[in-house]
Amino acid sequence: MNFPSFTRSLALALALALALALAGALPAVAGQYETIDYYVQQMIALASAADEAGVLTFREQMENLPRPEPGDARQAHPFNQHGQERLAGGQLKEALAAFRQAFIADPTDPEIAGALGLTYLRSRRFKEAERLLVYALSLAPARSASWLTLGQVYGQQGDARRATGAFANAHRFAQDRPQVAEQLRQLATADPADAIRIGALQALRAARPASAAPPAPSPVLPSQPAAPVRPGTGSTSLPAAPVAPERPTTATDNLLGSLKQSLATLAQPADPVTTGSAAPGTADNGNPGQRIYRRSLPLTCLIVTFQDGKTANLGSGLLVSRDGLVITNNHVIDKAENLAVRCGDRESVARVRKRSREPDLASLATSLKSVDSFVLNQTYNQDLIGLDVFVIGNPYGLEGTFSTGVISGLREIDGVRYIQISAPISPGNSGGPVILRDGSVIGVATMGLKVGQNLNFAIAAAEVISSPIFEAKQMQIRRTGTP
Amino acid sequence: MNAVCRMPALLLAAWIAATPAVLAQDSERNRYYVQQMIEMAATDNEQGVVGMQRMLEQNPRPAAPDPAAARAAFQRGLTLFGQEGLDAALAAFQQASRDDPGNADAVNYAGLIYRKMGRFPEAETALQQALALEPSRAVAWFQLAQVYGLENDADRALGALANTYRFAQNQMRAEEILRNIAENEAADILRNAALKTLRLFHLPAEAVIVPPLPTNPGGIVPMNSAPNPIHTP
Repeated sequence: MNFPSFTRSLALALALALALALAGALPAVAGQYETIDYYVQQMIALASAADEAGVLTFREQMENLPRPEPGDARQAHPFNQHGQERLAGGQLKEALAAFRQAFIADPTDPEIAGALGLTYLRSRRFKEAERLLVYALSLAPARSASWLTLGQVYGQQGDARRATGAFANAHRFAQDRPQVAEQLRQLATADPADAIRIGALQALRAARPASAAPPAPSPVLPSQPAAPVRPGTGSTSLPAAPVAPERPTTATDNLLGSLKQSLATLAQPADPVTTGSAAPGTADNGNPGQRIYRRSLPLTCLIVTFQDGKTANLGSGLLVSRDGLVITNNHVIDKAENLAVRCGDRESVARVRKRSREPDLASLATSLKSVDSFVLNQTYNQDLIGLDVFVIGNPYGLEGTFSTGVISGLREIDGVRYIQISAPISPGNSGGPVILRDGSVIGVATMGLKVGQNLNFAIAAAEVISSPIFEAKQMQIRRTGTP
Repeated sequence: MNAVCRMPALLLAAWIAATPAVLAQDSERNRYYVQQMIEMAATDNEQGVVGMQRMLEQNPRPAAPDPAAARAAFQRGLTLFGQEGLDAALAAFQQASRDDPGNADAVNYAGLIYRKMGRFPEAETALQQALALEPSRAVAWFQLAQVYGLENDADRALGALANTYRFAQNQMRAEEILRNIAENEAADILRNAALKTLRLFHLPAEAVIVPPLPTNPGGIVPMNSAPNPIHTP
């Protein structure tokens, strides 16, 4: 190849790109959605302000936007039917798959786009729901059902203003206004989300003169938290956990008291003493699990987070330094206002020292001084596959639950190194240690695949060591090559 | 023959001798531009992508030696393709491409058939050729992304998918296709590439593998809504 001429061509290309950029001639990529969203937002804002003429102007403008290429309605129809059946049966995953296929086959049918948006809403995937519904409205700006669903999407996200505007448009464009008014009344009185109730109420009040509907309910009821799960009464097979008593307001000075209350409600771990086990550090009698369990239990932590004065979440952690540093997953402590930690039988309030979203890690500073701590094993190579692993954590609050498995594989997901393990983990295990036979920590239990069985993942200890939360002076490492 | 007369003849001879090299060079240069579009798309360098696209679009459309024969061969290829006669369809599309080298549809179909046959290097070459003729051809980008996914080339799969979205006529449909791949595709490389593409364009995406939600001890529920509070409109 002639490189000098090639270099000239390249230079020419770059110069052209630069000239185009300077001339402002670049097309607005991804501008389709932004354009239609602008019109929809205008219609919402104008509806909130009861500016009917403005709403209709923007409706007309939106109707004049270029239409997308028509799809294959015949191919989409059976998928749509299937999706409707699954949605009616509450099978959201199946409904989502079916509506998606229908939408891909025919993206110009507003009913299909709206149904997909509704399914995303019911799946609590609000961003996707909003995009699909805005798109559905670009196809049919006067489709009341899409406005009603979009209002609920905004309400679920706490945006009462936009919920109001969307609900107002649902009523404005309804072919059967009394029916939509009744739907809004139900939302205004019974929906658990504050912003939905407020939005529906305001839309009803704005619509009252036109619809001559029964008076809107007033006042807006305060939200009622969902009923707590009681032992043996839930639809799931969660462990028995008595209903916690009313929590004190979460101030730092009474945090430990609150933690004790919370912990008192949780199932207690197996007690090595009552089971006749030997003291920590004794020989394993051919069963390394017992040795590892006894040594690791005091170094494995229960993490309780508090938000709005109440216990919010719990997870697991591992004590990794003698001065009380605890590692866990960032998603365990995300949004926590206060934190409390119990490692073994010792408790402490904690504060976030460092955190990282990718990898999903956080380190907590506690007052739990310790003569012993976990050692992070830096190994990350194929030789790990097949090794036994042991997991300790607090799944569903069952403190100190111990499980075993093997390392099934090494995975890199979004640039983060994970160890795939077959040991069972559940919600509450997040942030807990995955331990090798030698007692070193090879990973931090983080996530599991929704489908399949025992396809679980721990952030590799090697990743912890190379992450921003690692502190070389305090945390101990076992070097590569000695798994 | 005097020197004045010899000069044009020499130039003609030189041009004829150099033609294969020039064509090869063009092909190599086009391939370079396509690869640059992939690399730049993977890093969200929109201006770079557009610059390279413009370079490709400036290429003159190759002359068609026999357009009528090309159309006939292409139609024959479509029929055979519909009947799953891949070898015969491939031959027909190749014939169509020879009779009209500017027929992007023909090389695109050839690339698709190569991919179906598992002949990935040939598929890549054909699809790049289609993109050199028509760099905004979203379907060719999508097929190229699948080829790269099957070849475990994560970076280029990402770039090709990014261009699929960028050049899609209906971006909402493309977005949903990407989401479908990101959530359901069994091949890690392609699934992750789709997920990264969605994130590249700041589009909502849910990874298949998600952290287990921390539980609510004692049933203390911070949220203020029931699981399915929606009334069917």
